[in-house]
Amino acid sequence: MESLLNTEVKLKPFKFTIERGKIKEFAMAIGDKNPIYYDADTARKEGYRDIPIPPTFPTAIEMWGGMDFETLIELFGLDPLKVLHGGQEYRYIGEICAGDTVTAIPKVISSFEKRNLRFITIGIQYKNHDGEDVLYAESTIIERGGSKNE
Amino acid sequence: MSELKMIHKPEITHTQLVKYAGASGDFNPIHTVVPIGEKAGLDGVIAHGMLIMGMAGEALAEWFPRKDLRRFKVRFSKMTRPGEKLTIEGRVTGEKWEEDEKRLTGEVSVKNEAGEQKLSGRFEFKIE
Repeated sequence: MESLLNTEVKLKPFKFTIERGKIKEFAMAIGDKNPIYYDADTARKEGYRDIPIPPTFPTAIEMWGGMDFETLIELFGLDPLKVLHGGQEYRYIGEICAGDTVTAIPKVISSFEKRNLRFITIGIQYKNHDGEDVLYAESTIIERGGSKNE
Repeated sequence: MSELKMIHKPEITHTQLVKYAGASGDFNPIHTVVPIGEKAGLDGVIAHGMLIMGMAGEALAEWFPRKDLRRFKVRFSKMTRPGEKLTIEGRVTGEKWEEDEKRLTGEVSVKNEAGEQKLSGRFEFKIE
C-alpha cells in the first residue's frame, strides 16, 4: 500500500540560476583544482562560454533548488536515518555555465521494495532558458529496512 | 584497453564533509553530526556518496576535456568515513557511435588504501 502511494508522489519543477561563486565553492569542497571552475578567462580559453559546472554539480542545483533532503524525506515518508544513495547517472546534452538559469523537471521513475530495502528512482530533465534539453539526471535512493539486517 | 593516470586524494576529514554539505546543500545529518551517525547504526558519520562521485568526476575532467563528457553513471558500493584516503582509477574500454558522434567508453572506480571499492562507474566522452 505504501509503495502504491509513493509512485503517486508529484515532484514540482523548479528553476535555478547558476552562479560562479557556487561553482567555485562546490569544486573547492570536492578538492577539485581544475582552473576552469575558478577562472572565467581560463574557461573561455578552453572553449566554454563561461565557467562550466563540474560533472556532479546538478546535485547542488537539486538540493538548493527545492529537492533537498528534508523535502524528499517528507514526500516519500522515509526514515532519514536509513536513507542511502544507491546510484547516480548523468547524460550531458548541452553546455551549462555560470549565468545560466535552468529549469528542472523531476519525475518519479520507479518506487518498489525488495528484500527489506526500498528503492526510489527519480529522473530529472533539465532545460535551458531557450527550452532546449541540456541534461538528464537520474538518482536512486535506498531506504534500509528494519534494524535486523546487516 | 588502456589504464588512465591514477588520482590520489588527500585524507577525507570531518571539515570536508561540512564544506561539502554547505556546497551541495545536502544537510542529511548522517554526514556531519557524529551522534546522529551513531544513532543510525553507522558507527559515526559517513561521506556523501555525491562527494565520492564528485572526486571521480574530477578525475574524468583530468583525463579528458570536461566539455566532451556525455555520460557518467555510478553505483555506490561501500560507505566512506573521515580518515580514509581515496584513489581514483580509470581505464578506456572501447569506442561507440551514439547521436551521430564517436564516443570513447571507459570505467572508473574509487578505492581506499585497503583496496575497498567505494564506487564503480562508466563514462563516455565525445571524441569526434
